Amino acid sequence: MTQKEHNQKLVAEAQKGVLQLHTRRHFLKESAMGLGALALGSLFGCGSKPSSNDVVFDPAHPLMPKLPPFPGRAKSVIYLHMAGAPSQLELFDYKPELMKMDGQNCPQSLLEGKRFAFIRGVPKMLGPQAKFAQHGESRAWISENMPHLSTIADEISFLKAVTTDQFNHAPAQLMMHTGSPRLGRPSLGSWVTYGLGTENQNLPGFVVLTSGGQNPDAGKSVWGSGFLPSVYQGVQCRSVGDPVLFIKDPEGMDRDLRKASINAINKVNQQQYEVFNDPEILSRISQYEMAYKMQISVPEVMTIANEPQYIHDMYGTKPGKESFANNVLLARKLVEKGVRFVQLFDWGWDSHGSSSDDALDIGLINKCRQVDKCITALILDLKQRGLLEETLVVWGGEFGRTPMQENREGKKMPYKGRDHHTEAFTIWMAGGGIKKGFTYGETDEIGYSAISGKVEPFDIQATILNQLGFDHEQFTYHFQGRPFRLTDTKGRVISEIIG
Amino acid sequence: MFMRYRKLMIVVSILLVLILAFVYISIDKPIDFTLQVKPIINKNCITCHGGVRQKSGFSLLFREEALGPTKSGKPAIIPGDADHSEIMRRLTLHDPEERMPYKHDPLSKENIDIIRRWINEGAHWGKHWAYVPVTKVDVPELRTFFNLFPKKSEWAQNPVDNFIEQKLEENDLKPSPQAEKEVLLRRISLDLIGMPAPEHLAKKFLDDSSYHGYADLVDSLLASPHYGEKWAGMWMDVARYADTKGYEKDEARTMWKYRDWLIRAFNDDKSYDQFLTEQIAGDLLPDATDEQFIATVFHRNTMTNDEGGTDNEEFRTSAVIDRVNTTWDGIMGTTFGCVQCHSHPYDPFKHDEYYKFLAFFNNTRDEDTQDDYPLLRDYNDTLQAELSKVVDWFRQNASQQKAKEAYTFLKTWQPSYNTTVCDSFTNSVLGDPTWIIFRNNAVCRMKNIDLNNKQNLIFRYGGFYDGGVWKIHLDSANGEVIADIPLPKTKNDGWEWKIEEADLKPVNATHDLYFTYSNPNLKNSMNTGVRIDWLYFTDPFPGKGHKDYVVMKNEFWKLLQAKVPTTPVMMENPSFMHRASYVFERGNWLVKGKKVEPDVPNSLNPFPTNAPRNRLGLAMWLTSKQNPLTARAMVNRIWEQLFGAGLAETLEDLGSQGIPPTHPELLNWLSYQFMNEFNWSIKKLIRTVVLSATYRQDSKVSKELLQKDPNNKLYARNSRIRLSAEQIRDQALCISGIMSNKMYGPSVYPFQPKGLWLSPYNNTDWKLSPGEDQYRRALYTFWKRSAPYPSMVTFDGVARNVCTSRRIRTNTPLQALTTLNDSAYIDMARHFAYRLQNEGGTEIKQQIAKGYQLATYHAIDGKSLAALLELYNTAHDQFKNNAEKTCEIVGGMGKHTNAETAALVVVANALLNLDEVIMRN
Repeated sequence: MTQKEHNQKLVAEAQKGVLQLHTRRHFLKESAMGLGALALGSLFGCGSKPSSNDVVFDPAHPLMPKLPPFPGRAKSVIYLHMAGAPSQLELFDYKPELMKMDGQNCPQSLLEGKRFAFIRGVPKMLGPQAKFAQHGESRAWISENMPHLSTIADEISFLKAVTTDQFNHAPAQLMMHTGSPRLGRPSLGSWVTYGLGTENQNLPGFVVLTSGGQNPDAGKSVWGSGFLPSVYQGVQCRSVGDPVLFIKDPEGMDRDLRKASINAINKVNQQQYEVFNDPEILSRISQYEMAYKMQISVPEVMTIANEPQYIHDMYGTKPGKESFANNVLLARKLVEKGVRFVQLFDWGWDSHGSSSDDALDIGLINKCRQVDKCITALILDLKQRGLLEETLVVWGGEFGRTPMQENREGKKMPYKGRDHHTEAFTIWMAGGGIKKGFTYGETDEIGYSAISGKVEPFDIQATILNQLGFDHEQFTYHFQGRPFRLTDTKGRVISEIIG
Repeated sequence: MFMRYRKLMIVVSILLVLILAFVYISIDKPIDFTLQVKPIINKNCITCHGGVRQKSGFSLLFREEALGPTKSGKPAIIPGDADHSEIMRRLTLHDPEERMPYKHDPLSKENIDIIRRWINEGAHWGKHWAYVPVTKVDVPELRTFFNLFPKKSEWAQNPVDNFIEQKLEENDLKPSPQAEKEVLLRRISLDLIGMPAPEHLAKKFLDDSSYHGYADLVDSLLASPHYGEKWAGMWMDVARYADTKGYEKDEARTMWKYRDWLIRAFNDDKSYDQFLTEQIAGDLLPDATDEQFIATVFHRNTMTNDEGGTDNEEFRTSAVIDRVNTTWDGIMGTTFGCVQCHSHPYDPFKHDEYYKFLAFFNNTRDEDTQDDYPLLRDYNDTLQAELSKVVDWFRQNASQQKAKEAYTFLKTWQPSYNTTVCDSFTNSVLGDPTWIIFRNNAVCRMKNIDLNNKQNLIFRYGGFYDGGVWKIHLDSANGEVIADIPLPKTKNDGWEWKIEEADLKPVNATHDLYFTYSNPNLKNSMNTGVRIDWLYFTDPFPGKGHKDYVVMKNEFWKLLQAKVPTTPVMMENPSFMHRASYVFERGNWLVKGKKVEPDVPNSLNPFPTNAPRNRLGLAMWLTSKQNPLTARAMVNRIWEQLFGAGLAETLEDLGSQGIPPTHPELLNWLSYQFMNEFNWSIKKLIRTVVLSATYRQDSKVSKELLQKDPNNKLYARNSRIRLSAEQIRDQALCISGIMSNKMYGPSVYPFQPKGLWLSPYNNTDWKLSPGEDQYRRALYTFWKRSAPYPSMVTFDGVARNVCTSRRIRTNTPLQALTTLNDSAYIDMARHFAYRLQNEGGTEIKQQIAKGYQLATYHAIDGKSLAALLELYNTAHDQFKNNAEKTCEIVGGMGKHTNAETAALVVVANALLNLDEVIMRN
């Protein structure tokens, strides 16, 4: 037996050992849901519900791959978040009636008892600033701002009546990703990583990519692990600098030397193990080996230079540039390599109309150009690789925008823009077992509020978890004396859009 | 004859003993509600019958609820009569539709018996262990032969060990021998000061062939200034200390004086009751000092939201809620947050009680303003002397009370009205909502202003145009004018703030004030003429007519306008600004229910008589020896720092859903000692624990013991613990010989990769600190909430947005990558290598051995040395033929640019990554 095989055997033994022995609480859970559940997972489900599908947390091997409580339709998620909140009224929610009211004072009934971030006094109504047409067999309304996406309307399920209760960016983004407007809760991706571990041990399980030059408003908390162990937080990968922090060997140390140094560290650690018998030492040995493997695989997967030209043409990507399109292509590569949750944030969608960059008829159109082609390419590319069925793609922002033109501080704005709006916006999903060419939910004739098929962030979260094989009501973590859920006390799986 | 009797006597005595023993063993003790019944209820019943949900009108949370009539009209439990109690029928039915627990497996026969006996014995309720006040605990004696004879412990060093040993005996385990001196030295150093001991202390302890010097070593470490740094670091997680405000813009603010206060408090061994009192209510202490005000930053570490368009009241409320939750989680180790929305499902706290408790915190001056008012102004010595003169002036020419007010105002600009409370706007607006902005012909309102004895207004404003006039009217925009104030343009095109004063017509009543502003120079109706930050209503400067009047008034204004460093602090509202508190229905702050007054939950110790109903009274309640939680929570926290896990593992939840303590009696004994014998001295508490034989044990573990007690709940050894993020950095700096000894001061910026700070609307960047500031201890590193220092987070540091009672330690490849590749660690490896060349002798073998010894205190074994030597040789072979790589790994051209040093850097990097270095044995 080589040293390495020996180590692996020891690690396997230790894993088994550690799994059996835990704090009392985890032990109790294990008797119902532990090792056996990994093998027998599919026997539960219909009829007899397991009392809890709390996941086994093993501090020595926190990222070990785990099966979901029931077989999910999706294996991975690509969540495309347009930070700043794109206007549904210029993209997907076509409101010809609003055009007729363009320039008129907003009716009092829409203002009474409402709180807006910037609108003061009586604003004017603002008609749609884009032309719309129906597309595909599903006859989905999509504006001219998304010409590429229009061609794949039949792959998508639109949620037209999403609402939230937060009208500021940071709290609303937190709401969308952590189920609470305050800091401190785990993000969706962290929950998923906690529940499923990492399929590809050489890559992080939860990868975050940002573009647009700024972090999202809520900062890294939107991919933070909250009260879950910090190992489940999103790992931010970057297209400039180290793709993952500290993944590059120091200057002057080549791969062979790094290998030699990890070997030496592990040999000394092996000595340590023989003295102390602590299984944690074996786990450290395996973490150092894994670190070495990550150093090879992360840069490989995080480069798009080797992609064929037709792929670059399709996505509109340029290697070496920092762009949303590059991140979208990376997302496909990551999912292909077994990453469970890829979270993209693109900054710059906050169309207030205070400058040309955030004008509905200038800035927004530019932002759409940056995302339309590559997102369309992503869906088609996943499809041609047979990955779309097992990859859930989610697109959206943190809230919607008002049918009124913004009048910050009661003034007329220099450009056309809309204020933050909580009562109606559009999110869409594709792949991962979601219906194709479908629209759920409807807003009133000016797009102010939801009139049917209303859903909220908790429902989106419940649906995503459902597609991955989790019952959001049973998926909990014990903290501060009570079990916490991503969806708190709410959430409904939007079964209407499930294929 | 005599012999016969003697034999008989012996036989009889033996029989008697056996009978007694049998009786002793077989007599059933009465059922203990807390230990036996409550766990069954919590596990099987409470989800449907308690707190939030009371199915069929039946709740098991409080006794009066449990015995009361259910929906059916009859009670489910009849004390003393299990056979007629509905609960017993339901538990024993066969029909799964009717049997309880509903749709779950039936209770075991044993559990049903426990409940039956408990009811028959009278269904007595019990209090959860953690809610019962701490009383004196007897130290257990070891006993032998049917527990009849006391036995002296050969092992115990102090009473801590008696508790541990008793449990070990019960489990047929023996304690481990004392750890080797090198191991013990490293352990106690890392545990007490967070880094290796200073060389002279280490040498003194190791040179002595016995262990006699251990207690001296402990005392020296407790006296080291680095002790305060280590323990302040622990408390900073509880206090959610950060150098930025959080949320979107996440701008920096000055909080570090609080960090320094913590270091000093721990070093001075400030008694824990005083430590808490100053943090909760330092501002309310009589003649509060600046230091006591700085202590209150504890609860100003809450986040402030500067995002455009946010509602200040919403985030003020959210900060107050965070203060309540932090007080409970951090100080009392109890989860109270649930009660925010509904009565507690498991623990005896009611919905209303949350808001009564919140009322203690709801009456402070801070209002989520951009500038984080109130701020404590830090005058230098010269200004401080002038301040005393001005205050004396008030005392002589007005009154003691006015002198006090003047002092407070000059120190804090309070109590002032923030203009963010204005409403009813015409041509005026709360700009991005930080202060009021006036355009031409503006009107707005400020409600309920107490003008009794107020004839002078001091205010802070910025004017963009000359020619504007601001008028203050009573009760309507056309009401009587009590002030007519010209507001000229201020410096820097109006962007500079100015503090001004104006006379007020005497009114002597409370009114709504209407502000109007007009300016003929404002041609564009959309342009802003002026912005106003705050208003302070007062009396005219006293001593008019006195020859020094002008001089003193100038002094007053000089102090008021002085640009001095400031720190956000807590300050209570004066009575005329009192803020009422209400229950939030289902936790929604917009839906206010009944009004409440400050109070503490019924199920804990009563509020001290004569204590004021404010934060100071609350602090008295918290630090009362009758408070069952405060001492226990701190003892448990200290134990966790020293053993890697609390006696009760869930530091944040000592309640009935937390994991019960492994040694409840020990926890109680230590808590009693802490309060009564040690007078709340944290150093004495720590000293007692680390001098125990329990703490001094070796951490090696046999296969049998590992199997029997994998998580070291019984303490038959000491635990091996992964160092904290701070310890890993500090230790590496020490080993490398570059640790800066500088203490205190503004936070520093050690090496961090570029491009991590990208907060929207915030252009600040990470600027590498010069010189030794790069090598300060981890707790001095600038803490940005939205992007904390990466290596800290990788090693399980918490984001410090909310109170975190304990960090969960993980083991991941990203941690390995950090200590292997982070430039900060490569830099340390370089210095470590230079140090080895200087101090480790000429031979490479010696240098490596020296490195290992510096990192672990003990000698390297042959196999490990061989492995590291092999690494050295491999590296050396490479570098000797590659000048470029040699230059890169040592970080530039210079005297160190040679293959030998380069190879040693690689070895030093490996040494800093060894398991034995990352862990404490």
